[in-house]
Amino acid sequence: MTGDAAAPRRAPAPVRGPRTRPRAPKLPRRARVGLAAAALLGGAILPLFLASGGGLIEDATLALAYVVMALGLNIIVGFAGLLDLGYVAFFAIGAYTMGYFGSLFHINVNGGEGIHVLVSGVAAELPGIHLNFLLIVVLAIIATTIAGMLIGLPTLRLRGDYIAIVTLAFGEIVGRIAINGDEITGFGTKLTNGRQGITPVDKIDLPFLDPFTALNLRPWYWVAFVMVLLVLFVNFRLRDSRLGRAWIALREDEVAAVSMGVPAVKTKLLAYGTGAAFGGISGAFLGSYLNTVNADQFQFSFSIFILAMVILGGLGSIWGVVVGAIALSFINNYLIPDVLNNVPARIGLDFDLTQLSFGIFGFLLVIMMVLRPEGLIPERRRQLELQEGIEDLAVDGDDVQPAVRP
Amino acid sequence: MASASLTGARAAAPARVVRAFLDKYGLICLLLVMPVAFGIHDLRTEGDLSRLGNNLLDGLSNGSIWALVAIGYTLVYGIVELINFAHGDVFMIGSFTAAGFFGTIGLTAATGVPGLIAGLLLTLLVAMLASGSLNLMIERVAYRPLRGAPRLAPLVAAVGFSFILQNVGLLWRGGSQQGIVDLINSQKELVMIAGVSVTHGDTLAIAVTIPLVLAMTLFISRTRLGKAMRATAQDPDAARLMGINVDTTISATFLIGGMLAGAAGLTYALYQTTVWYFQGFTAGLIAFTAAVMGGIGNIRGAVLGGLIIGVIQQISDNRIGSQWTPAIVFAFLVLIMVFKPSGLLGEETREAG
Amino acid sequence: MSEATSNGPLLVASGVTKQFGGLTAVDDVSFAIPRNAIVSLIGPNGAGKTTFFNILTGLYKPTLGRVSFDGRDITGGRPDKIMALGVARTFQNIRLFGTMTALENVMVGQHTRMKAGLFGSILRLPRVRREERHVRDKAAELLSFVGLRPALHDQLATNLSYGDQRRVEIARALASDPKLLLLDEPTAGMNPQESGDLTRFMERLRDELGLSILLIEHDMKVVMGVSEHVTVLDHGEKISEGDALTVRTDPQVVEAYLGKQEAERQRTEDGVG
Ligand SMILES: Nc1ncnc2c1ncn2[C@@H]1O[C@H](COP(=O)(O)OP(=O)(O)OP(=O)(O)O)[C@@H](O)[C@H]1O
Ligand SMILES: [Mg+2]
Repeated sequence: MTGDAAAPRRAPAPVRGPRTRPRAPKLPRRARVGLAAAALLGGAILPLFLASGGGLIEDATLALAYVVMALGLNIIVGFAGLLDLGYVAFFAIGAYTMGYFGSLFHINVNGGEGIHVLVSGVAAELPGIHLNFLLIVVLAIIATTIAGMLIGLPTLRLRGDYIAIVTLAFGEIVGRIAINGDEITGFGTKLTNGRQGITPVDKIDLPFLDPFTALNLRPWYWVAFVMVLLVLFVNFRLRDSRLGRAWIALREDEVAAVSMGVPAVKTKLLAYGTGAAFGGISGAFLGSYLNTVNADQFQFSFSIFILAMVILGGLGSIWGVVVGAIALSFINNYLIPDVLNNVPARIGLDFDLTQLSFGIFGFLLVIMMVLRPEGLIPERRRQLELQEGIEDLAVDGDDVQPAVRP
Repeated sequence: MASASLTGARAAAPARVVRAFLDKYGLICLLLVMPVAFGIHDLRTEGDLSRLGNNLLDGLSNGSIWALVAIGYTLVYGIVELINFAHGDVFMIGSFTAAGFFGTIGLTAATGVPGLIAGLLLTLLVAMLASGSLNLMIERVAYRPLRGAPRLAPLVAAVGFSFILQNVGLLWRGGSQQGIVDLINSQKELVMIAGVSVTHGDTLAIAVTIPLVLAMTLFISRTRLGKAMRATAQDPDAARLMGINVDTTISATFLIGGMLAGAAGLTYALYQTTVWYFQGFTAGLIAFTAAVMGGIGNIRGAVLGGLIIGVIQQISDNRIGSQWTPAIVFAFLVLIMVFKPSGLLGEETREAG
Repeated sequence: MSEATSNGPLLVASGVTKQFGGLTAVDDVSFAIPRNAIVSLIGPNGAGKTTFFNILTGLYKPTLGRVSFDGRDITGGRPDKIMALGVARTFQNIRLFGTMTALENVMVGQHTRMKAGLFGSILRLPRVRREERHVRDKAAELLSFVGLRPALHDQLATNLSYGDQRRVEIARALASDPKLLLLDEPTAGMNPQESGDLTRFMERLRDELGLSILLIEHDMKVVMGVSEHVTVLDHGEKISEGDALTVRTDPQVVEAYLGKQEAERQRTEDGVG
């Protein structure tokens, strides 16, 4: 990007030649709708075919929770083009919201009597704060949206790769605070339980239903499934909206976008906020589902795990991200530990395959970037940008320098 | 940043003066907060500054290791505008190679001084070659095919490579911190100057860093390749027109950056006497912070940044608690990137409006 | 502001200066654009014309000086806000959103005229639906107005021909219902026939939509044919202004261009060929 106004006048933009790579054939609209409906229906009735307490439904539920996060991250990275390497922060904040308001964590509150709002069963008897799960989700959304905007705010004037590092740093700071938060006290309570984590955590308790149990996982699955439907709906609606267009415009050429009336700050913050909210929802769910808010979960590698889902599926491609998330979470939680793990032993090697999982994800990222940066199910625009570098071309003009350079 | 010179020309409204001052000296003030605060604290409680002095010295020797790593970041960023996220892990592999090589050539704590020096020089060479060629290979495999793609693509590939290398480290030496043979008796005091204890480790870190940085500076300013690197960093297209082979130049940059990381890896292993597969991730971010702090693309800046970060880290380890050090370093990273992305010595950039 | 009258000039720039480090790209330029008029800004390469545009549209903050639009001070205001007030522009090097269709590009141009927010868009309220339909229709209308064949409305911008890209860029700028349109060398790369079309088109904009246009242009035929008032910049300074004839015969202007004569001739030849 050496836009120098004194340089010789650029020749008019050449008309582009034929594409280097054929584009993925696009199914007719009706076929796509049919396929999507079938996938959703299959997803909805899947638990009926699985043992209600078995490992498969456990993994499937986890996969759905990851789909929610991946689609949330997709709004930030895929739609708005803001490379966020610290998404784990929102997982953490969502999970801690669950821990704060649905466990024994504040054990002395209200003179040891506890505070209970719309909870039944065991939770209603325990000390500590216990709010209804839906209330907690609302709180998690509020907390993560605010956090998303706070984290986003300082990155707004930075260029892409600096945004990545600043978000990474924020993610690490949140992770450190989670691990060492037991040293920070105030208002008669610790900030976190440190490495011990917060456990046990209240089970989900929905109106008109019995509190969930660890024995029957089907209700958990369906709750996660509803979350997926919600985030899918939001993704689709936003993609084809005024806001969605503004995101693409900013991503492709910020100078042109602001000159056409798109407010950069507000538009980007909305991406951070909405994307973060889904991290929070999923985080709250996982806090309850895993029955623990474990500070050691909130590491950089988790951010990359979710990012890899988005990239594998296809940046900005909604169904692609769903597929990427399901694929990676099954590779991580089922294929590697349960299926392939004894392969090395069988061929006479002595190591644990689970140790390799992050190397495998790293490898995936490299391979995808080099061979198929647009992902398995590419989104049309992203495919163009990634294959032909249109994004860069647009910014190359000498009218104005792109956003602040370091 | 660029407004500093403009504001001088204008009527000096107080707010503007404050802003110009912060712009110029804000970062320096920020960096001075911790040392000054603890210095005053020491003077009041202990009556002298020897504790702070020790912090400073330890910080400088630690920082000189970061400086070597930071140069690699800065060189690469200067030339291809890529945050080589795998660089920290290249450093880690350098450490591992060195730690493994000690055993191979039979260095032990009992080896005599001449043998030790010869052996360490050999190890240095091996570590530098290993890290250098690794970095070169990464560029070939993962970054070169992505030149011209949107910036996000090589960055993601770099993150991917970082994970691969961490995994290699994990398989190589397991998941926990591993003590290695303390060849130089790292913590042993060599001399005591005004209450500041200079250890073998400090001496080594400085003895490795200074010559390498000097050699590096000479190389960049005097040799053909060094000049080609500078030209390419300024304007790759113009460099190509002038007959510079840009690909070779970029490869050389990665090679050199990797070699410095290898040297840092050896020094780290000798100085800390432990190695760990995760050391690269932290070191990478610390060194990147250093590079940005100094002004990315600027070698002197990277060295300065490395030394400063080393001191911050040491003070934080010693006074606040090492579990908080990463958070503190990252907080500095965020503050600098947001408020002064051009760093301490960074060139003033064109204004974007 | 006090000068907020509907008869005063539409835009007033007074004493605008922009320095880049040591370089003064725009030097104490004062300038007014009347309502419902076409005025031109000319000058040799590097004279500071585009920089001046960037100041008017908020992309650069002027080092010194003030800009007011429609009686309102907009000096150093945010580009999107200035756009919302009614200043729209095109770019010297076309800056369309390449992976969007022509239609979508023009829809982005209407961003400030739309209301749909986050929740409205998610729930797709009837209001939002209506707005979306209206915006789409208007975009199609504008594209036809600038002469883009309907068959090309759903083409990706990057696949359009150069001339069509220019058209879409103008449509995108018009989409916000601006009061003032800034065109940065719109005829660059066009043949004389196309330039002539564009000249007539600008007159239509002025007469039918009541727009004011500020035109940066190297093609003297276009400038002389269409503009009521011409301002000449050289090395950032305003060296002359007046009607086309006055400027053309101003010795200072002739001198400013003379040094560049050779280059200039080659340029026009390029443009023609
Ligand atoms: N962002 C910037 N930073 C530094 N210098 C700049 C910047 N933008 C423009 N300039 C300089 O300001 C001067 C005026 O440039 P400008 O682009 O405004 O000229 P112009 O009149 O539009 O020329 P042309 O006819 O070639 O488009 C040039 O010398 C240019 O190098
Ligand atoms: Mg120009």
